[in-house]
Amino acid sequence: MRAIRRERRTHPHPSSRWRRSGGQGTMAFTVILAALALVAASCGKSTSPTASSSPTIFSTVQPPSGSQTTGGTVTWAEGPSATPNYIFPIASSSYFSVTNLSQLQALLYRPLYWFGNNYTASVDYDYSIGQAPVWSNDNKTVAITLNAYKWSNGETVTGRDVLFFYNLLKANTSSYGAYVPGYFPDNVASASASGQTVTFTLKQAYNPTWFLYNQLSEITPLPLAWDVTGAGQAAPTGNATNAPDTTPAGAKNVFTYLDGLSKNTATYANSPVWSIVDGPWTLSNFTNTGEADFVPNPNYSGPQFGAPKATLAKFEELPYTSEPAEMNVAKTGPNNLTIGWIPSAQVPQTASVLAKGYNAYKFFTYSINYFELNMHNPKLGPVFRQTYFRQAFQELVNQPGWDTAFQHGTAVPTYGVVPTVIPNPFADTTETARPFPFPFSVSKASQTLSSHGWKVSTDGRTPTTCQSPGTGPTQCGASIPAGTALEFNLDYQAGPVSLDQEMKDLKSEAAKVGVILDLTTHPFDNVISTATQCTAGDAKCNWTAENWGGGWVYSPDFYPSGEELFATGAVSNQNNYSDPTADALIQATTTAPTSTAQTLLNEYQDYMQQQLPVVFQPNVAGNPVPGGLTIVSKKLGGFSVNAFSYITPETYYLTQ
Amino acid sequence: LVGFVIRRLGQAIIVLLGLTFLTFFLEHLLPGSVARAILGVRASPAALAAFTHANYLDRSLLLQYGHYLSQLLHGNLGFSYRLNRSVWAVLRDELPRDLVLVGSSLVLAVVIAVPVGVAQAVRRNGLVDYTATGVSFLLYSMPSFAFGLILIQIFSIQFRLLPPEAPQQPSVNGMLLHPSGLALPVITLTLISYALFSRYMRSSAIDALAQDYIRTARAKGLPERLVLWRHLLRNSLVPVATLVGLSLPAVFTAGLIVEQLFNFPGVGLQYFLAAEQTDYPVMLGITLLVGLATVLGNLLADVAYAVLDPRVRYS
Repeated sequence: MRAIRRERRTHPHPSSRWRRSGGQGTMAFTVILAALALVAASCGKSTSPTASSSPTIFSTVQPPSGSQTTGGTVTWAEGPSATPNYIFPIASSSYFSVTNLSQLQALLYRPLYWFGNNYTASVDYDYSIGQAPVWSNDNKTVAITLNAYKWSNGETVTGRDVLFFYNLLKANTSSYGAYVPGYFPDNVASASASGQTVTFTLKQAYNPTWFLYNQLSEITPLPLAWDVTGAGQAAPTGNATNAPDTTPAGAKNVFTYLDGLSKNTATYANSPVWSIVDGPWTLSNFTNTGEADFVPNPNYSGPQFGAPKATLAKFEELPYTSEPAEMNVAKTGPNNLTIGWIPSAQVPQTASVLAKGYNAYKFFTYSINYFELNMHNPKLGPVFRQTYFRQAFQELVNQPGWDTAFQHGTAVPTYGVVPTVIPNPFADTTETARPFPFPFSVSKASQTLSSHGWKVSTDGRTPTTCQSPGTGPTQCGASIPAGTALEFNLDYQAGPVSLDQEMKDLKSEAAKVGVILDLTTHPFDNVISTATQCTAGDAKCNWTAENWGGGWVYSPDFYPSGEELFATGAVSNQNNYSDPTADALIQATTTAPTSTAQTLLNEYQDYMQQQLPVVFQPNVAGNPVPGGLTIVSKKLGGFSVNAFSYITPETYYLTQ
Repeated sequence: LVGFVIRRLGQAIIVLLGLTFLTFFLEHLLPGSVARAILGVRASPAALAAFTHANYLDRSLLLQYGHYLSQLLHGNLGFSYRLNRSVWAVLRDELPRDLVLVGSSLVLAVVIAVPVGVAQAVRRNGLVDYTATGVSFLLYSMPSFAFGLILIQIFSIQFRLLPPEAPQQPSVNGMLLHPSGLALPVITLTLISYALFSRYMRSSAIDALAQDYIRTARAKGLPERLVLWRHLLRNSLVPVATLVGLSLPAVFTAGLIVEQLFNFPGVGLQYFLAAEQTDYPVMLGITLLVGLATVLGNLLADVAYAVLDPRVRYS
């Protein structure tokens, strides 16, 4: 229930600080003006810049114009109907989103380790509470010393706060969105805290980099003031041995209490619980429409350890119901929206938006984009399990062409399981230097199918069929009977224009080699929930190909080792891909010592590029805003981009 | 009349139950699992199972529907796992804002359409009639999103006279403090509704003008102003009353396009998103609301008949 309503804002909303070029007009005046303007428009007159001019799209942040000021309000556009709605850092899958984690929680409650600053996919110790982890016991024990950050209630952030997070997580794993059975916290044998240090003893040795990037990355220290099971209770001290979180039952009760509080979004801005922060911001206003306003945390201790303190007076995240709604506001200029985005489909309008005082950027997230073929489909699963078929199918995907024709240059092709467009230490430089082995080539796809026992049809209507069943090198493959036809359903997300164009192009190209695609569309949620793990006998295993338009963002599993995606039975291995070599390589990357870890990761990504466990498609720009170009006011300084869409408005300043 | 109203309300309950039943089962025909849709691709099997159980989704459809009705009888409309808010909170927060937006548009449309329709009828086939007819056809044939975009382009982007988005304040009072933000969405909805209402009004008034009682009133020497006001207007309003009554559900749904275009999160948008994102509780809650509005709108139209035309009697 929403008990508190805010009738007035402490600062006016864009609607109320609307800047007019003239005085208050009467309705009669505006109606007359509308009529005149319509006439003018019909005569082809326009004072707007034409969209045909070529705007400059930057890939690095440009310096602002003017001199730096202190204070002011920066407004930032949330994604359409993607507003923050969960504040407690242990978010269940329902609320485990970039919106909640990166754009709400991380501003208030700093993660133990901060990743992705300066558009690189690596850890940033200046912004992290934890110092570099120290490994011992043959990589089975890791000790982390925390910088002495302060909570806003005056207490110090200690190792006990990390232990508090660990205890809550351990007792409530099924309620945590990033939980993977067998991994953190299951892989921890014991944990202890002493002063500023927390120590984890692990059940086996792990690759230290992997453990930092994929396991410790999930931790957010929590204030002991939250270690209660109800309102009005006294919080335990750091030394208390009977604190609620120290028993599984107590930890469950604490979690239930905090989760319940987090379900009351109306109380976020005034909650005595959520107002205890160690991050650079506190929440000053949170509306039921999804607007989140932040003001600087006056007690922020980050500057002592290298993290900047906010100089803005306020940072506002504004909700938008649709892409056109956001674009309409952006077209009125940076006075009404400081940071926004231009959707891919509207990129041709970029010049008219930039003319209002913005710079446009093409920034990506640390992600790959793909769609999936169900390898357990009773009829076509055996075909999809053939590596040669997946290679041939990949050759029907014209990634560069799609970017040019449908994404208006806002995308990059996906060529492997490790992202390459953002600088990162994990991509195999040899692999990125050589051409993609399966570029768009209908003739090569046709040749591949023919050489594996298929009678390729080229009339565009009749499907290609298997005429040489068997497991030989020139035969169709195991469990594929003669006469099997390459005709199947490809279901994709309804709505995005560019995705629709891409899938229709794929249908057209595939038909040239007799791969007949029956296209259907469904809402995103239906597509994503249809693409689910299954066995051939299940009714839910009838799906053949599902494309939800996005692939996988490596966050908060920042190390691209694929144990969640491509290992046999992995939680997000929706299309039931299974390969013993891939499994062994994935296992090796997670457990190898530092000296061999990158070599093994290179081996893994090279192998997967040949395997093509999923169908790669172009990765669309959009960071830290939704898909398309990022637009930033020319009067905004200190803007930077994080590879994982975290935002750092504490570095922003306005100029005059 | 009282008996009539009671009977209609009784029928309304049956209609509402039927509506929720149909909505519930039709939505379940969509492919995919609700748990996977809500929890996303990262969800573990344990999390999926826990969500499914907690939300009664592992029971048969009939049991799920029975559970929903049982909760409904206890005044619990459910909790939206997508919005992290109770359905009641969603309706309570967004309905008043919708009522202001669409309600004011409806009233304005009627206020403009009725005199224009009458004027067209009285000056039939004259300049006024042709002009108003042309404007009505233009507005009626124009999709609301296109009309809204044109208004934004002219008033917000070109001349910077009005904001391109509705007031963002979460309460009605807050909205009313910034009326300039309401101008474009209200104008968009008003003019499109006006086009329809004025056509009906014109047609109805033309019919009424040919009636004997109008000729008699004029023959008696009654001034034209009184003829129009006392005899023509009242009798011409019956079809418009029907239209207005049937427009009541539109308060909750017709604003969808306008809500999207003018950044005005309302009930229509929530319904659209709930249907897309398999958010059953919100969808069923709004279905109930729209159903109720439909029944009430019809009821009001019927009552308006009786008031406007004493010859209409219900027993």
